[in-house]
Amino acid sequence: MCGIVGYIGQKRAQPILLNCLSKLEYRGYDSCGIAIANGGIEVFKDAVRVKVLAKASPAMEGKAGVGHTRWATHGEPSQINAHPHCDCAGRIAVVHNGTINNFLKLREQLTKEGHTLVSQTDTEVIAHLIEKYYEGDFIRAVEQALGDIEGAYTMIALMAGENRLVAARKDSPLIIGIGDRENYIASDVPALLDYTSRVIYLEDGDIAMVSADSVKVKQNGAGIAREEHKISWSMEDAQKGGYEHFMLKEIHEQPKVIRDTLAEYISAAEPAAALTGPEGGGLEGTLILACGTSYHAGLAGKYIIEELVNVPVRAEMADEFVYSGRITAGSRAIVITQSGETLDTLKAIKKLKEEGCRVITITNVVGSTATRIADQTVYTRAGPEISVAATKTFIAQLIALYWLALPYSRVDVRRLDDLVLELRQLPVKVQQVLDNEEIIAGFARKLAAFDNVFYIGKGINYPVALEGALKLKEISYIHAEGYAAGELKHGPFALLGSQTPVVAVVAQDNTYEAIVTSIKEIKARHSPVLALVSEDDDTMVELADSVITIPRIDPLFSPVVNSVALQLLAYFVARERGCPIDFPRNLAKSVTVE
Amino acid sequence: MKQAVILAAGEGQRLRPFTVSRPKAMLSIADKPILQFIVEALARNGIRDIIFVVGYRKEQVYDYMGSGEQFGVNITYVTQERQLGTAHALSKVRELVEDKFLVLSGDNLIEENTIADFAGIEPEAVLVKRVSDPVRYGVVNIEGGAVKGIVEKPKEAGSNMVNTGIYAFTRDVFKFTDAVLDIPDVLNNMIAEGYSIKALETGGTWLDIVYPWDIINLNYAILQNIESGLGGTIEDGVSMKGKVMVGEDTVIRAGSCIYGPVVIGTGCDIGPHVCIMPSTSIGDNVVISSFTQVKNSVIGNDVSLGPGCFVSDSVIDKGCAIKGRFTALGGQSEVRINGESPSINIGVIMGEDCKVDSNVTAQPGAIVGNSCQIQMLKMISGRLPDRSLVY
Repeated sequence: MCGIVGYIGQKRAQPILLNCLSKLEYRGYDSCGIAIANGGIEVFKDAVRVKVLAKASPAMEGKAGVGHTRWATHGEPSQINAHPHCDCAGRIAVVHNGTINNFLKLREQLTKEGHTLVSQTDTEVIAHLIEKYYEGDFIRAVEQALGDIEGAYTMIALMAGENRLVAARKDSPLIIGIGDRENYIASDVPALLDYTSRVIYLEDGDIAMVSADSVKVKQNGAGIAREEHKISWSMEDAQKGGYEHFMLKEIHEQPKVIRDTLAEYISAAEPAAALTGPEGGGLEGTLILACGTSYHAGLAGKYIIEELVNVPVRAEMADEFVYSGRITAGSRAIVITQSGETLDTLKAIKKLKEEGCRVITITNVVGSTATRIADQTVYTRAGPEISVAATKTFIAQLIALYWLALPYSRVDVRRLDDLVLELRQLPVKVQQVLDNEEIIAGFARKLAAFDNVFYIGKGINYPVALEGALKLKEISYIHAEGYAAGELKHGPFALLGSQTPVVAVVAQDNTYEAIVTSIKEIKARHSPVLALVSEDDDTMVELADSVITIPRIDPLFSPVVNSVALQLLAYFVARERGCPIDFPRNLAKSVTVE
Repeated sequence: MKQAVILAAGEGQRLRPFTVSRPKAMLSIADKPILQFIVEALARNGIRDIIFVVGYRKEQVYDYMGSGEQFGVNITYVTQERQLGTAHALSKVRELVEDKFLVLSGDNLIEENTIADFAGIEPEAVLVKRVSDPVRYGVVNIEGGAVKGIVEKPKEAGSNMVNTGIYAFTRDVFKFTDAVLDIPDVLNNMIAEGYSIKALETGGTWLDIVYPWDIINLNYAILQNIESGLGGTIEDGVSMKGKVMVGEDTVIRAGSCIYGPVVIGTGCDIGPHVCIMPSTSIGDNVVISSFTQVKNSVIGNDVSLGPGCFVSDSVIDKGCAIKGRFTALGGQSEVRINGESPSINIGVIMGEDCKVDSNVTAQPGAIVGNSCQIQMLKMISGRLPDRSLVY
């Protein structure tokens, strides 16, 4: 999973490509490289960060080029495996995002035909395939090469002597940025924002011929027109503005994100109830699917809908569902994906559509693939999330789920009024948690010394515990596990002791007594307990070793404030341990591989 | 001058309850933080390279100002860990400034006209303003266009020219910033060393907020010059007069009257049958229910006002959830502050995140702290500390 870029125009390509790549590093950053057409093809690449490559690269002339930043799937990070990859003659350079399933067979075939492949990557076969089919027509050669490939082949090809780049999209996204007598190609919008706000999204199966003056798109051999969009994100959205890490900035953006996401809905022409289709119908039997942090949001959504609407709801992991899940034809599903491009989740949507289901997707990226294959889209307005670990997009997803569920509520109408008002008060409550961050940082410094941490929660805060543990795992590399509080005694207790602290999320709802009991049992095993506790609670202060005070709020909305506190906890633990918070090892932001 | 330093690290204790969660520089007037006024004034005068010295609640500044690109400027942040004075704050930018730069206080609301003549001046210089109550400020004694000395809060004012807190310096100033705590003392020492400090008078906007009720006066003054703009949805049957600015995604429902100058933020739900009277500012995500009238007041973000409320000459900070029939009318009141008891015309001053039940009345001059809870039918007066419970 990687980021690819291309440029062709009137200016020197090298600085432009390097700048675009630096904006794409959140997609992968174990190695990078660029290739420039300058009579021949000049390539410079290495297993380093973009900044390092930029400093080390010699001045390369040429006004057309491609670039790549990589997250390894086939072949370990190394200079040889880094993209761009070339053919035998060194006249074709290719950058690629995706996985080629039959590459071993292709590699064998090409080697038999006399080609020399030097890397362990699947990408390299593309360059050699183009070389194999080239008989004077660059486009034709690329089309034929792609015809041999099974798998995801989003790529850009550069050829010496050609005044066009050829780009193709299958599965992973690719976007063309339109300039003035110059054009840009990139995996995602942030790479292009410095240069243009006019973009064209390529669809699966598109092949585009991009010259300095024109963009022509073909689908299935025939020309097709793709609509131009205008992007309204500004680069300011994608810079740290005073904060040390994007993650901390994004955590602090959450009050504004909640406000913006609510504003989007409250004035929307279509109320939430209309989303479930013209025939109406409630949320009974809804299936919620997602991966990772979005799955945790989905799981919270299950509790939210069950609590408000009093109907059974299923929440499952999208990748599991794709392989073994069952669904009644004609049912309704809510599919959550921050990027709209998560491959496992897209496959789930496709499977649901094949079963005749109605799919509502919750996503943060306008125009992403999920929005084009689902029946309806609910957007979260969180802006681009640069930090790999999801924070604000998770909270925004929760807000979207509250908004979806509230119109179907079967609770007392007075309680409903109170709930709606309290939902609007969330920005202030979240800000209060943020204002308290020094205290959370103090606890984090102590937690950072441990190697194993348990997170427990119950009911609607069970997903909060799962997510809290995931955040700690992702950015501080401490082994953390989330559990439903009652489950610990069924086995994991064997692991508890003074070296396994427990973070407990305590809500003022019908689970309160039960989790207090769990905590007493945990204390009996001498584990230090850090509890998230409502400011109204008098008991927990005596019981837990450390207490993070959370502003009072209706238990239904407690996941929002509790999650923010746990995000801060994970952040400060990671900072105490000196981890590279925004770009954790082995992880990429938008997972477009299986 | 191409570069400016803004000192925004101060707390502004006298502005509590509003400065418990934000620095003084982030108080909003007409839905815009003071810092934004300053940054826009600089940008319009061609100064786009800005260094912020932040400290108290600095995240509030980061969250709103970010990298500055939204305002057409480039912002670099420097932290003053402990607020020890303006000279100490200035010394923090020693490594970052060029040969000539402006220094501005983040406390005072200015506009483009304030510094139009000052932006190109040769250092060293200070911008002064003629005011009617100079003893509240630093009085500047001027002879022949040059400063003779600055006296802070003198018992008797020699002149009525005061220090605006806006200066033009060269890097020489750093020879003096270690010895004293505040910039006026730096100037006095420079004068003693033979430096000639020009004094330039400005006729432009220069507004100071010292106490919470100053917010109402400044809000009134700034609103006189706003432009109209209608985002959001205005239903049929809404009556608008004068200059009204309505943000995106806001809904104004039928039967409401909005008489400007009024600013309303984004994502609000106002009405039906709500009257917003001049000169009122309403933040983002605010809900105002039927038959409520808000006049000459400042309502923060995320506030909900129930039906049948009367609010005038008041400031209500963000997140307050106020149920129906809340009354806070402006009137003459003596407010005790710092050993003084000025008489002012004011409604209620309410901090953030208060929960107010129905049929509560606030007497003129009541100051309610942050996160207070007030039960129904109560009458509140005087000063309620943060987190008070009234039952």
